[in-house]
Amino acid sequence: MKKVICPLLLLFLYQAAAFGQQNAEALVAESAAFLSTFFKNRYDIRVAVVRFENDSELSDTAMQKIYQMLVSRLENEKNIHVSDLLLNFTAGQGEFNLSRVNDLQFLLNLKLIQNKSKTGLGLTVFSRLQDKIVAVKYFEKNLSPGEMEYLNTRDFAFSELGFSKLLEFESKKNLMDIRSIPEGDGQEQYFFYYPDEIVVYLASETRLEKFSQFKLEWTRPLYPVLHYEGRLLLFYLKQALVLTAGNNFSPSAQVLTWRDGQWQELPKIDFVPFQFLLLNQNPYLVGARYEEGKNYFKDKIYFLPFADLADRSGAYEKKAYPAMALDFSVQDGQLQAMHVIDRNYTYHLLTSEFEEKSPLPEKKGASLAASGGQWLAVSDYTRTSDQLFFYDIRDGGQKLVYTGKVSGEIQFLAAGVWQKTMGFWVGIRQRQDDQERFVVQFWGKHDE
Amino acid sequence: MNKSKLLLIPLALTLVFAIKPYYGGEICIRLNEPTSFNLNTANYSNLIFYSLIYENFFYLKKDGEISSNVFQDYRYDAGSRTLTLSVKDHLSFSNGKPLTARNIQVSLKIFMDLDLFAASKLSKIIKNVRVSNSQVLIELLNDNPDILSLLTAPELVVLAENEQSFSGLFYPQEWEKNNHLTLKANPFYAGGRAYLDTVKVTFGESPQPDLFLSSPKQFKENFREFDSGIYQNIYLCFLQSDIGQNTKIALFTLLKRFNEALGFKYRELRTLTADEESPVSIQIKTLSPQKTFSILKSSDIKLYILASLSDLEKDLDAYLKSNNLKIEMQFIDDSQFMGFLNSADIKYVLIDKIFQKKTPVEEKISRILKESSFNRFNARYLRMLGELDEVKFSNSQELVIEQIARISEAIVNDGFIFPLFQKNYSLYIRKAWPAMEIDFYGRPLLQKTGKNND
Repeated sequence: MKKVICPLLLLFLYQAAAFGQQNAEALVAESAAFLSTFFKNRYDIRVAVVRFENDSELSDTAMQKIYQMLVSRLENEKNIHVSDLLLNFTAGQGEFNLSRVNDLQFLLNLKLIQNKSKTGLGLTVFSRLQDKIVAVKYFEKNLSPGEMEYLNTRDFAFSELGFSKLLEFESKKNLMDIRSIPEGDGQEQYFFYYPDEIVVYLASETRLEKFSQFKLEWTRPLYPVLHYEGRLLLFYLKQALVLTAGNNFSPSAQVLTWRDGQWQELPKIDFVPFQFLLLNQNPYLVGARYEEGKNYFKDKIYFLPFADLADRSGAYEKKAYPAMALDFSVQDGQLQAMHVIDRNYTYHLLTSEFEEKSPLPEKKGASLAASGGQWLAVSDYTRTSDQLFFYDIRDGGQKLVYTGKVSGEIQFLAAGVWQKTMGFWVGIRQRQDDQERFVVQFWGKHDE
Repeated sequence: MNKSKLLLIPLALTLVFAIKPYYGGEICIRLNEPTSFNLNTANYSNLIFYSLIYENFFYLKKDGEISSNVFQDYRYDAGSRTLTLSVKDHLSFSNGKPLTARNIQVSLKIFMDLDLFAASKLSKIIKNVRVSNSQVLIELLNDNPDILSLLTAPELVVLAENEQSFSGLFYPQEWEKNNHLTLKANPFYAGGRAYLDTVKVTFGESPQPDLFLSSPKQFKENFREFDSGIYQNIYLCFLQSDIGQNTKIALFTLLKRFNEALGFKYRELRTLTADEESPVSIQIKTLSPQKTFSILKSSDIKLYILASLSDLEKDLDAYLKSNNLKIEMQFIDDSQFMGFLNSADIKYVLIDKIFQKKTPVEEKISRILKESSFNRFNARYLRMLGELDEVKFSNSQELVIEQIARISEAIVNDGFIFPLFQKNYSLYIRKAWPAMEIDFYGRPLLQKTGKNND
């Protein structure tokens, strides 16, 4: 492939690194250090917070942040295996999934207390094997009103521990999706999917440099749209790179393969492929169909055997929901779950057998993307603001862990990698003074 | 700046957006019942109805901005005096048939053959219209950089060869005569399909519509009111020269008294355009009721009324009956009207014309003369129009006004058109339907109207 490297004008805006939660972090650090010392000479400790009460002036949001800071720190301890059982914080109380307590050795009970101008964190360690409290500790810090306000604010991104914005730049309008795949030498190639072309970039330190581009020709019938939506999929099949590109303005998705130094067209597919995965040891393309010209999917999931580029017999479909957004959690090539936001903006989790997992606390959203079987990113659905919610979906749960404010309207979310950091690409339409621009951000988690 | 002000700025910016907008839903619009799906924009109600099923070449916004959904590019080259319109790729009509440059060429030619002021103005400056692949090349006789603004006429729409396919945002699905008409979203609409699935056009009072026309300042709660920016004039026309003056005045008096009996439902019109802008006021002395009825009872009058004025029928019929007057009313479709002109049967006609308030008065007068003098149009009128064109370039408003007065006087003296009434409209839309705009011609733009997803 002839390399045509053109500089891409990118505006990189790293998030502000400094947050004003030093004393809260110190409070958590001391608690974590205590537990680290307490468990120092033990191995493979299975522990979880099972109770968290709040008698301080801090809000549920602040509690959640303190909880997450503590769990994140404990996760870094090699001898401690922390189970994150938190479901929600409401009215000063944490709700935990206690069905898995039997697997644990130690249970942690936390309590936030207000002591005059200071905020205290009470920590109780309960040994299930000994059936008794084995340690009680109390830490206290002076949290200033500013820091309290900061903790109580919802648009908080953990600079070091949680998801944060690692990259931002401006793109051409109507960008529909971003996917990447490593080349033979391990270097990641980034494919930017526009309605009429795909532009390929390579990462160069903290920049993306244009590598190549190719036009996409769509034929009649074509359904003009107000909002372009589409999905790219990249995978290797028998050492050949395969690319599929589906969207909401053409009923057929294009299938291309890189052969003899050029992209070659394969027969089209009549749905939008989302994943290439193994079902009963057989490779399949899995996807959905858009309602023509609209921004949502029909109520079926399509499965197309794809062991061979030419043979596509044996396709079948399963009923799901008409979906504003959907994605699949896949680990090691196996389907784990399906995430759906229905036409009423309500989130549903379906098992790999396409059975709804219930009951779940009601959750609303607009766009979503799943990163492997670990994280789920969902955008807000209201008119007044947009924001990102990051859910931890390990262990089959959907616990809200981080949130991040976004200026503008999120157009798409896509799981991805940037500089070896797993995370999510976010396409955002911004408008100010009748000027519209399209911004791309990458939100990643430093420790993953 | 205090803290609360700082918080207001980002909120105001984000309120503009609908996040993942909702597709679906039905909006109910109350309009007059059309006579067919053949384009006919003679009145305000029709102007709205046909804008839903036919796509304009160009749209003119209230702020003067011109845009198009059909052309991906349009440019005028002064050197070759050619406007090049590049049609978007792979467009289709509502039935999926291709919409090509050839359809644009044919549609433009059909428009130029219409007996409309805007059409004749355009046909005078266009030398030829050619097609080259996906481009339409419009060659002008003389350099005219304003050509694009002439293509924003609401009657200039994209027509299909097949009558059952439509280029507009919606297409007709079901028509229950005298009740309602259902329009469905056109999945191939060139500008991107609407959020709405259905538009129900009702012709009666119920169900309560979401969007309707009415007199200004009537509905304040639950509805937003838009100034349509247009008015509709109703004229009484006499198509034959052998009609006696007494009969003309008697019929005119009858219609004025009819309005009086309705409690002045229609605004009285004493000029050819609008009372507030015309330099000439027309005073036609009415007759006494006795004399009026006496003349009309001895006359055999058949009054033709354009179908666009069909809402007059019920009240007028009742009024005639209450006065024992036998005047036969015959409603004719606006599109068929021109074909009837040479018929000796048609002597008395009620017509209407809609005008955009912002349009210069000289253009309105030209339109009336051109479009409403029918078979009376002669060399004298042509000369007067030519003179009006000349004085327009003189930069003397006084001369323009003088020429308008001269034309008005000639029209009134020739006695073929008497101004009767004027209707002013506001467009009301239920507050539950946000994001609606109206264009320069007072038409609601429904493409981005959808249900609030909050």
